[in-house]
Amino acid sequence: MKKDSPVYIFLFITILSIVFGVAISLVHYLSLDKLKSNERMIRNRSISRAFNLHVEASNGEAFENAIRANIEKKELKSSSGTMQLFISKNQPREIGFVFTGIGFWDRISGILVLSDDLNEIKSIEFLDQKETPGLGARIEEEWFKEQFKSIPIDWSKPAASRIVFGQKTSNGKVINGITGATQTSSALQRILNSELERFIQTYKQ
Amino acid sequence: MASSGKLFIDAFWKNNPILIQVLGVCSTLAVTNLLANTLFMCFGLIFTTGLSNLTISALRNHIPDRIRMIVQVLIISIYVMIVDIVIKAVSPDIHRFIGPYVGLIITNCIVMGRAEAFASQNKPFTSFLDGIAMGMGYSMILVLIALVREPLGFGTILGYKLPGLELWWHQWTIMVMAPGAFFMLALFTWFARAKMAAPEGATK
Repeated sequence: MKKDSPVYIFLFITILSIVFGVAISLVHYLSLDKLKSNERMIRNRSISRAFNLHVEASNGEAFENAIRANIEKKELKSSSGTMQLFISKNQPREIGFVFTGIGFWDRISGILVLSDDLNEIKSIEFLDQKETPGLGARIEEEWFKEQFKSIPIDWSKPAASRIVFGQKTSNGKVINGITGATQTSSALQRILNSELERFIQTYKQ
Repeated sequence: MASSGKLFIDAFWKNNPILIQVLGVCSTLAVTNLLANTLFMCFGLIFTTGLSNLTISALRNHIPDRIRMIVQVLIISIYVMIVDIVIKAVSPDIHRFIGPYVGLIITNCIVMGRAEAFASQNKPFTSFLDGIAMGMGYSMILVLIALVREPLGFGTILGYKLPGLELWWHQWTIMVMAPGAFFMLALFTWFARAKMAAPEGATK
């Protein structure tokens, strides 16, 4: 059969796709357990960091144990859907919730931890984001997350303007967006405000 | 084996993919601020260039000319997916940072360039060596740049703090950012090309 005949080309590309498709599926299948446990470890580590838990080892089990000992998990259901809550068992009590929304490229999700009276942000951690590396993805950097600590939340303000990047809050603190990542910064501000509103509505119910 | 040695010397110096061919610059700028990230990226590229060259060369007499580029991209992307899965399983933290660039190895000009220019015309073993050599030539420059950027940007090497940090070190933020890599790459390229041009100039 001639190499340039349509039948040869069709058969060649079909066989090649099947062989390589099976190979990559096999590699994926063999690593599935490891990938899942890594995902769980990263999630638990983010929760531990959000609540400032001191964990000696950095493996999945250690983070899981720390969370089990110090944090109570709850699921709140309301008309606007289900919300995952994390409440610290230690004093002073802190309440965290999982926020999620569409960033510039894809979904951004994370945990926002509030003080017991819900009037102040204690910390923020990200669970998942696929923003532009070097630009929007810098939301995961420490300096950016640090800015959220002690930011007051004025619940009397309209839902869309409780957190405004670049604006001084009542205690003189400012959250700066990321230069060169305006779309990610705006999206994150929008997500946090809408999720804070969803949280307070769910929490009240 | 003399030709194998020449392949490696060419890849490291005379025909270095980054300094001379100016290929693979995107990832050079992106992943060289930490040595650990750089090493994983280098592993990915060496693995992909070596095995994709080997596979393409082994199939070269069977690949229809009209679709050879599609076949090459298909083969390269399979190896890149394997690298991506392996890094994700071994080091999820590093994968979070370099993940997008690992995917971009598919479009890295070094891999495609060697597949088309070398592997499709040479025997499998020689092609495999060429891929490994080119990957190592790329890796050498990346590691050299990372060895400058990480100490100046973070005061560490592979995450370990350098001695007497408080006495001499002040964070050089530009080395953490991509422009730091631009400067380092330009300096290395200038040095390499000046060194290469020197004997030529002397004979004139």
